[in-house]
Amino acid sequence: MTSDLDIARSAGDRARARAYYRDFAPAIGGYTLVMLAVLAWGGLDGDAPSRFVWALLPLLPALLVVRAVARHLRRIDDYQQTLLLRGLSAGFAVAMASAITLGLLEAGGLHVQGGGWFVYGAGMAGWGGAAFAGCR
Amino acid sequence: MGWSGLRGLPVKNRLKELREAQGWSQGALADRLDVSRQTVNALETGRYDPSLPLAFRIARLFGAPIEAIFDPEQDDPAGVGTAGAGLR
Repeated sequence: MTSDLDIARSAGDRARARAYYRDFAPAIGGYTLVMLAVLAWGGLDGDAPSRFVWALLPLLPALLVVRAVARHLRRIDDYQQTLLLRGLSAGFAVAMASAITLGLLEAGGLHVQGGGWFVYGAGMAGWGGAAFAGCR
Repeated sequence: MGWSGLRGLPVKNRLKELREAQGWSQGALADRLDVSRQTVNALETGRYDPSLPLAFRIARLFGAPIEAIFDPEQDDPAGVGTAGAGLR
């Protein structure tokens, strides 16, 4: 029988989660702030060449998000690494399939507005779906 | 199908029985093994077979040899396991 104690996270789990949030929170917070700054002052609708620099600025905090996930991957144990990497693999496969689908559609003359974001969303959904399936 | 099934040779273990005999929660055992509670649960339910270093840590913690804790479910008359089965 599973007791309440069996579903409580261990002290190690909590410590690893805290370490992850310490890395992740400033990264995602910075990403949000930079995105807001880009939308407010980036002039993305204009034609100044500097708009490309503005458009790429959110990549910097996004790299910190990647760093947070990579550091988390090193902290967790073998089984959790397996689950996380399986999720990332699924996300990668879905993103590739989406990119190929969009590429073929564009080759056929159909331009999909914001296609890159579609690929991103599909990849993240693939990752999330695989992670959910792995936790069951 | 868990990872054990994918590798072809499911392994039974007495981890839950040994843990409960000590009066430990899954979280307490996880802390002693330096793994997550999720991993202990996966081990106990047979969804995950431990790596060799983790199997040795478990054996050392309970003061028993590995083969007293982990036991392949299937008979293996050749005594060589099914190494490479997952590569076919």
